[in-house]
Amino acid sequence: MYKPALKIAGLTSGYGDIRVLRGVDLELKPGTIVALIGANGAGKTTLLRTISGLVKADSGFSELYGESIHGLAPHRVVQAGFVQSPEGKQLFADMTILENLMVGAHSKRAYERRNETLEEVYELFPILAERRYQRASTLSGGQQQMVAVGRALMALPKVLALDEPSLGLAPIMVDRLFESIAKIRERNLSILIIEQNVFQVLEMADYGYVLENGQISLSGTGAELLGNSHLRATYLGL
Amino acid sequence: MTVSTIPLDRTAPVGFSKGPALALIVLLLAAGLPLVTQDSFFIHSAIMVLFFAYMATAWNFLCGYVGQLSLGHAMFSGMGGYVSVLLFTTFGLSPWLGMIVGGLAAAALSVVIGYPTFRLKGPYFTLTTIAFAEIVRIWVENTDTFLGFHIKGAEGLVVPMVGESFAAFQFGGKIPYYYIILGMLALAILATLIMERSKLGYCLKAIRGDRDAAEALGISPTRYTLTAFAISAFMTALGGSFYAQFFRYINPERNMGTELSIDMALMSIIGGQGTAFGPLIGALILTPLAEVTRGYLGGTFLGLHLVIYGIVLMLAVLYFPKGVLEPLKNLAVGLFRRRNPA
Repeated sequence: MYKPALKIAGLTSGYGDIRVLRGVDLELKPGTIVALIGANGAGKTTLLRTISGLVKADSGFSELYGESIHGLAPHRVVQAGFVQSPEGKQLFADMTILENLMVGAHSKRAYERRNETLEEVYELFPILAERRYQRASTLSGGQQQMVAVGRALMALPKVLALDEPSLGLAPIMVDRLFESIAKIRERNLSILIIEQNVFQVLEMADYGYVLENGQISLSGTGAELLGNSHLRATYLGL
Repeated sequence: MTVSTIPLDRTAPVGFSKGPALALIVLLLAAGLPLVTQDSFFIHSAIMVLFFAYMATAWNFLCGYVGQLSLGHAMFSGMGGYVSVLLFTTFGLSPWLGMIVGGLAAAALSVVIGYPTFRLKGPYFTLTTIAFAEIVRIWVENTDTFLGFHIKGAEGLVVPMVGESFAAFQFGGKIPYYYIILGMLALAILATLIMERSKLGYCLKAIRGDRDAAEALGISPTRYTLTAFAISAFMTALGGSFYAQFFRYINPERNMGTELSIDMALMSIIGGQGTAFGPLIGALILTPLAEVTRGYLGGTFLGLHLVIYGIVLMLAVLYFPKGVLEPLKNLAVGLFRRRNPA
């Protein structure tokens, strides 16, 4: 039977009295890249934090390959296979690159395979192998983003969530990063990617969702969305 | 992938290869000390330095790596001391076993205390640890008998002499105690080094660096901090047992007072918290300073040694916020490089 990699339905959550998500439905097919776009404050990061268990959901459910991850503590969600690379990288500045990567592999399953996964991450981002004893704070923005992605991969995710990976990067670095992300998909991983870089991410993504005011207002394949007049006017200024 | 052939860059951890070798040399030198001098006062002072280095190392195992300041660790010391002494005087259980029992009891207590307290951050955590330690101390000071054990309140307990016996932890001279505490310190530093390179170490450093990011990666702060807390409490309790056996006397003020808690924290902070050798350096600086100022000034100017202590702390925080170890290490690395230009 077909089971989506990630399925979310009717998810609502928020902070205190303020509702940020007001019933979000979203689905990720195994091995696909799904883009989530939306304006600032639409609730994209809150959605990731809710799935991760960092923000408590009020209602709705979330499943990973048919297994509920709803209401689990953050470390249980990671163990189940939903791992995020948080917005703004959030590296551990005083730790070396190697240490940062190893932190990702703390669950039992990931820890046992840590050396193999580390080789894979180094293969994906060779520069990280070269600089593995350097403190994370000494890296360029693009390299730091590589560490953040690598750190999430070290947890052996089934679904990898990337929160604005291109934030603050030079255009050439964005291109390279997107190439690497496309390569990650070949490992039979599903990727949920939040981006402001709408044009580029929709070109790469298999499917996309638009989040507006805490609800999905539009969805479709990357090409469909790029052709949509509302989306073109609102997010691309065309 | 030929990862291993990639040359290490300048910021590769120098201590990684040379650190253990250096530590071994220091250990051997320390082990040879009694061959040089048998002077009782000198050996006694050396034992005190090693004792405080050990206690600071135990404190650092938790606080240095998690980045939370505990000023209540003396309660674990007291627990270890009282449990081992009471088991010895009541049942004749060897203090070697008694200190393990005391350590396990302290570890259990740390989990009970740590579970609610670790949700608190910064000064709130510190205040809670002081409160717990003071509650335990005041309770012991005012309790004569508990579950049939004679605690004897503020009066304290004397360990009866049974003659020289390894099993009873009683020796003729001070030199055996010197070797015991030296061995305990070496094991504590080794435990810290192993922890630093283990999953526990990575996760603790991550929690210290950015708690929110660590949680986003699925690290459960409670689980890892509690593990470190239990190990730290266990080690502290062993130190408290040693102290009780060495002086053959224990009382709430000396064995679980706030001053001991503060000493443990200060030595770690001044030496370099979050490093394996920092607490040792801190104890090497502060213990002799305390002994000398107490000995020479304590009689004439009561409390002046505490003033000097405070000044040293302020200077250390101002000029060496990461502790004395780091600048010392950089100096050594610099000298080494100048002589061997790459």
